[in-house]
Amino acid sequence: MRKLLALLLLGLSVALAQGRTLVIAQGTDPTTLDAPLATDSPSATVVNHVVETLFEYTPDGKIQPLLVERYSFSPDRRVLTLFLRKGIKFHDGTDFNAEAVKFNLERLISPELASAFAFLLRGRVSAFEVVDSHTLRLRMPEPFAPVLAHLTHSSTGIQSPAAIRRLGAGYRDNPVGTGPYKFDRWQKGQFVELVRNDEYWGKKPAIERLRFLAVPEAATRMALVETGQAHVAVRVPPQDVQRLNARPEIEVVTTPSVRTIFFYFNHTKKPFDDIRVRRAINHAINKEEIVRFVLGGFGRPSDAPISPGIFGYTRVGTYEYNPELARQLLAQAGYTAQNPLRITIHSPNGRYLQDIRVTEAVQSQLRAVGVQAQIQTLEWGAYLAATNQPRERNEIQMAMLGWGTVTGDADYGLYGLFHSSQQAPNGFNRGFYTNPRLDRILDQARVATNPQARQQLYRTAMQIIYNDVPWVFLHSEQQVTAIRREVQGFVVHPTERLIASGASFRTSAER
Amino acid sequence: MSTYIVRRLLAVLPTLLGVLLAVFLMVRLAPGDPAQLLAGEFATPEALAEIRQRFGLDQPWHVQLGLYLAKVVQGDLGESVRTRKPVAYELSTYFPNTLQLTLGAMTVALLVGIPAGILAAIRPGTVFDLVAMLGALVGVSMPVFWFGLMAILIFAVQLGWFPVAGTGSLWHLVLPAVTLSTGTTAILARMTRSAMLEVLSQDYIRTARAKGLAGRVVIFKHALRNALIPVVTVAGLQFGTLLEGAVITETVFAWPGIGQLLVGSILARDYPVVQGAVLLIAVAFILINLVVDLLYGAIDPRIRYD
Repeated sequence: MRKLLALLLLGLSVALAQGRTLVIAQGTDPTTLDAPLATDSPSATVVNHVVETLFEYTPDGKIQPLLVERYSFSPDRRVLTLFLRKGIKFHDGTDFNAEAVKFNLERLISPELASAFAFLLRGRVSAFEVVDSHTLRLRMPEPFAPVLAHLTHSSTGIQSPAAIRRLGAGYRDNPVGTGPYKFDRWQKGQFVELVRNDEYWGKKPAIERLRFLAVPEAATRMALVETGQAHVAVRVPPQDVQRLNARPEIEVVTTPSVRTIFFYFNHTKKPFDDIRVRRAINHAINKEEIVRFVLGGFGRPSDAPISPGIFGYTRVGTYEYNPELARQLLAQAGYTAQNPLRITIHSPNGRYLQDIRVTEAVQSQLRAVGVQAQIQTLEWGAYLAATNQPRERNEIQMAMLGWGTVTGDADYGLYGLFHSSQQAPNGFNRGFYTNPRLDRILDQARVATNPQARQQLYRTAMQIIYNDVPWVFLHSEQQVTAIRREVQGFVVHPTERLIASGASFRTSAER
Repeated sequence: MSTYIVRRLLAVLPTLLGVLLAVFLMVRLAPGDPAQLLAGEFATPEALAEIRQRFGLDQPWHVQLGLYLAKVVQGDLGESVRTRKPVAYELSTYFPNTLQLTLGAMTVALLVGIPAGILAAIRPGTVFDLVAMLGALVGVSMPVFWFGLMAILIFAVQLGWFPVAGTGSLWHLVLPAVTLSTGTTAILARMTRSAMLEVLSQDYIRTARAKGLAGRVVIFKHALRNALIPVVTVAGLQFGTLLEGAVITETVFAWPGIGQLLVGSILARDYPVVQGAVLLIAVAFILINLVVDLLYGAIDPRIRYD
């Protein structure tokens, strides 16, 4: 009898634990919950629990079908046929079908919506044809290999057309998708709350409610997780890691990020039009030391322009720390103790993990090889504007930026940054780096049909980039998250999104 | 009296126009492109052009200003670039929270600052006076940001008396309101003390005491009423300071007020929201000043408004 009672109690406590609300402290409130308009990771994190994409980019770097059951390409790779999962309903009870997908993808690229992510499909897909209720054809003017990767992007999420039509501008506060959680309420500036979708087509979540708090101040986020008022807090400051780890009820989890941090060189300006100078700077900077001492170990020195886990990544190497070689290269380029190299380094302050500290470390390492570097920081908006000036007006010599390859495909990371057609202000190639051979390879990789062939092309592309030294390859960041131990299965995705759908509360026995 | 109010309200219009112009020019002179920030680090030229066109950012600034003023006159503050919702809606969501926080802080400042100042003035040079004025010194010199974090660490994390952050109950209000009030409490305490000391040395107070009036009556009826005039002025002006201070307090305590909205909007170059928020704060400031001026009349019958 006593055993039975104990079992009953245990069952009850498990039920209670499973029904609780999981509270996640993010840095900011979402700006919008309309998938194609959500440009920041706090918004994308909330949207992703409500709205699903056709394909998903798994945390271990695979692209796999989600709302699509299977797909096929025509032999010439210009037609992609998507066979959608059947029997799925949006949270408002309407059917998920080919018409709905067509509506959403056409909405994404429509000029009226002015989505910043329209470029993912615009010009690459010329027509969306409904074949039958659950089959859709995407016609492309030329083969476009990253198309599946682009369809994992949160802005391509499939939302209820009925809800979008009914709510108009109000839809941004009331997203309706097919996801494991339904939107419940949004207290502006405070929190968004989601409730479990009990009709979910896939594996139903264990936790009934999710609450995403907006807490800008890092110390406050840490206090919330220490007092148990939040279960998860993002972006733990490096100096707090030890203190939080000392608490038995909290685990500090580090997760890789697809974000790569680098300094780019302006190729059109002295002194960085000289490859010897670019190589010298790379050899003068000790990346291992920066990661260890400035980032507190929360990073990884880059050995390629993109991070591991991204399709197309191969290790191409790092410029070894060799101050002697750096000095020799500088001397060859005509810079000596009598005529030292003087440069200005632009750096953001507060945008990336320890950004200005990293730049200061670089400054002192450069001093050791005789380079006199001056640091210039600007507020983030001004910084983006300054680095995005056209060639004639661009004053930058060397500047720090970060890049998240959030589609998990090298095209997003390499084409946009290194292709000569992508020069500022019309693209992200802000150092005006040009190499016709690289352009050709990146173009080929876009239309290549065979994944192995693409992989090979990207390997070659990255080798060319490595040899041309358009960057100081610094490091990829790590995401540091504080999670209370009663929570298990919580995922911090490399794309900086948080995923709670598979999370559950541990019972006290499991802890 | 009523003509005075009307005159004052009319004078408000050019002030507001000046505020609008200044903010409009300032946000545009600040470097940074809202379209670029919205579209992210990786944006195609078409995406940028579309966003610029949608929000009229491709127009010359004087055209933008004309369009903006024409809309403001009709009561339309425009649409947020970030959230794409009406600015008026954004303001109406966040401003009540700031008002709640500011009023809470003002209440704390009045309830603590004025009595402390009175007591210090009645017993000048005593230990109490010393403690009160030392407290006031600490209060004005302490950074709000640091005080807020300390309050969280001690009263929320260590002692667990109050929630760390957020809103929802009176308990949530205590730490942020006390944090925000520190500077104002200190200033009010010092103002009250010096005003009281000055009044207490006047002849009519000596007369009142000589008449044999009870000390309580002398202090509260004769002295305090006169001492309060400068205190009310300062309290009114402090209200504006509290609105500014709320920016920091709101960040520390994740308090969803206009300060948080304003900071986020400035960082995102969300021009329409920045303009709307500053306009709202200016209106609040002006109205508070008007109320303060009217209060003089209530406190001191010698002041007339016609």
